[in-house]
Amino acid sequence: MMDAKLIFDQVSKYYGETDQAVTALNHISFQVHTGEFVAIVGPSGSGKSTLLSIAGLLLSPSKGRVILDQLEVNDLSSKEMSRVRLNKIGFVFQSSNLIPYLTVRDQLLFVAELAKNRTDQADQQAKRLLDRLGLTHRQEVYPDQLSGGERQRVAIARAWMNDPELILADEPTASLDSKRGRDVVEMLADEVRLREKAAIMVTHDERVLDLCDRVLEIKDGQLTQLSYKQVCTTDKND
Amino acid sequence: MFLTLREFRYSKLRYFLIGCIMILIAWLVFIISGLAQGLAADNAAAIDKMKVDRFLIQSDAEQKLNRSVITPKQWQNVSALVPKNAATPFGQKMLSVSKNGTAHKQDVALFAIDAASSLAPKVLEGKSLTNTTKGEVVVNQSLKEAGIQLGDFIQDFETDQKWKVVGFANGQSYSHAPVIFINLNDWNRLTKNLYYNAIALQVNQIDPSSITGKVKDVTIINKDQLLQNIPGFKEEQGSLTMMITFLFVIASFVQAVFFYVMTLQKTHQFGVLKAIGANTSYLARSLITQVGLLTIIAILCSLVFSYLTQMLLPSNIPFQLNIDTDIQFSALFLGVSLIGSLLSLYQIAKVDALEAIGRIE
Repeated sequence: MMDAKLIFDQVSKYYGETDQAVTALNHISFQVHTGEFVAIVGPSGSGKSTLLSIAGLLLSPSKGRVILDQLEVNDLSSKEMSRVRLNKIGFVFQSSNLIPYLTVRDQLLFVAELAKNRTDQADQQAKRLLDRLGLTHRQEVYPDQLSGGERQRVAIARAWMNDPELILADEPTASLDSKRGRDVVEMLADEVRLREKAAIMVTHDERVLDLCDRVLEIKDGQLTQLSYKQVCTTDKND
Repeated sequence: MFLTLREFRYSKLRYFLIGCIMILIAWLVFIISGLAQGLAADNAAAIDKMKVDRFLIQSDAEQKLNRSVITPKQWQNVSALVPKNAATPFGQKMLSVSKNGTAHKQDVALFAIDAASSLAPKVLEGKSLTNTTKGEVVVNQSLKEAGIQLGDFIQDFETDQKWKVVGFANGQSYSHAPVIFINLNDWNRLTKNLYYNAIALQVNQIDPSSITGKVKDVTIINKDQLLQNIPGFKEEQGSLTMMITFLFVIASFVQAVFFYVMTLQKTHQFGVLKAIGANTSYLARSLITQVGLLTIIAILCSLVFSYLTQMLLPSNIPFQLNIDTDIQFSALFLGVSLIGSLLSLYQIAKVDALEAIGRIE
């Protein structure tokens, strides 16, 4: 229990009025442990995004408990949610979502700025991350001059900037070719293990699932765990 | 500040363009306000400079100085009611004079005053007016441009009067004409039936109702009322004020629309920023800083341009910038810009961090 970074306990999410509510998540329970990299797969409309949004404190669940780094977060106000997001969660979005008018280095420093943590230490941290992700020579460049892979790497560096406990990746390979996509996910996986944090990746891209420790499948708001073998079978059926 | 300055640097052209529009509008505001004040001075400086705050005039004069007639009897009654030096009568008449020996006529505003009273003009050159001398006149400096010098005689054919120019005063004009000052004895000779146009009152020494109760057919108005009723004053100032008001509204709308469109365009980006952990108040402060900085820079530039304009304009164009008004308008400009940004602030507050998830740009 102590080494669980994220716990979903009977979490449900409904949209709409009570009598004709649409169930997006139906009593979902799972845990993500320290050092674990979990993939979530599932067809469109299965509730993947909702699950990621709840894990990322962008949405509150209708029912159930969410425990992030030993803190119950399912009842926080939106202001508190935003603070926890800033300190405990790193996002890697689909198509990177970098801020167009910030240079690569400023993308990272901005996160420190938000946390009112703009110190020499933050500068060092940014430098280290850029170095580790092979972006040092690109640090003064704006996002529109970067390749897709570079952008996703910057997004990963940004996600790590405030030393979060949990990384949430929303289809990080969607805009990349298979080689670059794999590189990016590998980088994410390496960092999670090295820093003993945890990560959840929502993806359609089954070519990168072998890099994950566990694969969970969500269908009609229900979660099932797939073994690696099952992953390969679904792959063939596609 | 972090986002503000970096966005300015990145989107230079965009902010430069809106900045130019703001500068042009603010510049025009300052020019029109300079013109309004220049014209006001040209029209009313002589009244404005009087160190009194109330005027006693005839009740039937519709608050118009030129229509008001105060008889010597009324003046005697008033002067009996007030402390010495608290009231002084004056006469006013528009004339066309020419320099002795030339045919060229020049419109002037004649003020007849007690040279010992507070209404006496400060003389820059030559000597002051006295009550004892006869046929002497102190005139506004601008008459120099018409070739009139100290010692010259000016004459009015209509009333058959002739005065010697003994001094020059500065900034004395009324109804767009330069003012000439004579003493009340000369006024007496000029008018034949002695009358005054008004009595200037130092109101802090007098209770106005104590006079109007006792002297018949008179009323007391303040300086602003008298100014407003100078022929053409209200109309001139009114139309210029309307232009300035419109410019403020335009400036506010232009900027509001610019930032609103920018904000709409950046909805997704704000979603991402919120997802990362920026809260609405951080983003709001960032926008307000942007609007504020842009407006302040635009105001400063336009002030510099306005003062340059003042230097470049020929001196006979009535244009006068006044620091108090400049500060007032600058504050108002900043105010309307910030009000205009409320629309964008509302939009920012509405953005949901969920925008960031599951969407391809």
